Amino acid sequence: MIRVAAVGDVHLDADVVGRFRPALERVPDHADVLLLAGDLTRHGTVSEAWCVAKEFGDLAVPVIAVLGNHDYHCNEVPAVVQVLESAGIAVLEGTGVVVETTGGKLGVAGVKGFGGGFAGRCATEFGEPEMKAFVHTTRESADRLAAALDALDSPVRVALSHYAPVPDTLVGEPPEIYPFLGSYLLGQAIDSVPTTLAIHGHAHAGTERGTTPGGVRVRNVAHPVIKHAYSVYHLHGEST
Amino acid sequence: MTERPVDEYLEAEVQRLLTERAEVAEQGITVIRRQHTLLLCGEVESVQRRDEILRLVAEQFPGLSVQSDIGVTRTHPPTEAEDLL
Repeated sequence: MIRVAAVGDVHLDADVVGRFRPALERVPDHADVLLLAGDLTRHGTVSEAWCVAKEFGDLAVPVIAVLGNHDYHCNEVPAVVQVLESAGIAVLEGTGVVVETTGGKLGVAGVKGFGGGFAGRCATEFGEPEMKAFVHTTRESADRLAAALDALDSPVRVALSHYAPVPDTLVGEPPEIYPFLGSYLLGQAIDSVPTTLAIHGHAHAGTERGTTPGGVRVRNVAHPVIKHAYSVYHLHGEST
Repeated sequence: MTERPVDEYLEAEVQRLLTERAEVAEQGITVIRRQHTLLLCGEVESVQRRDEILRLVAEQFPGLSVQSDIGVTRTHPPTEAEDLL
């Protein structure tokens, strides 16, 4: 068995430092790895990244993250990533890592992802350049996720994103904003490779549990959704 | 005191204010029009952030009746795991 802890949308700044730490010190009792599903900071500044490094660094388990839209706000992504990685936090964007656990190998592939909406009611690469660029961004992100999942040398694969791959886990959000919360293209990428679990955040008013059309479990771990410091999922055996 | 009606334009302005003003930057607050009052719902990461939301709305819309049901998300460890068989 592989134990995966996950949380997203922690939005750290100096006012939050220390709130998560007592629970984080206990992660090794509950899990083999901790996944962070984006929106680690409020505005994506270097000083906020140091808050994340202090709160989520130096844990006794590997910490693997993707960034979220908040982490892009101040256009300091390379510096933010550098700070997080200096604290031992792996930051994925179209990339993956394989972790050795006592339950076997765990592969995690991640992207931030982007919006566009869900099958039958989605934005398309048509019309104005701004619209084409919007959907193109999502399509490229989904392609990177599929490639990163496929490249994982592990029988157990987890897809990590900030934006949602399915609408199931958005229930509770206004349907009008679903296109800004995720894209079916991410779900299709996940279903293109045998995947055990998909983790995302972003939808604070959404629902924890859903599945892709291909049957992969999806979990929305946005902090206001799970309502504790992190959720823990137990994975078994090889991906189906 | 504002004479503005609590209409959908006001609702939109408040929602954008809470996201676009750097001192708040919250996308997760739901703004609900209720009679002559705006109800603010959602969860934030600290008491200071909840206080700042209410201070900013009061500053930008003096006289507006606002009800707050904004909570601070708990940070205790989980009591159980989900077994994905």
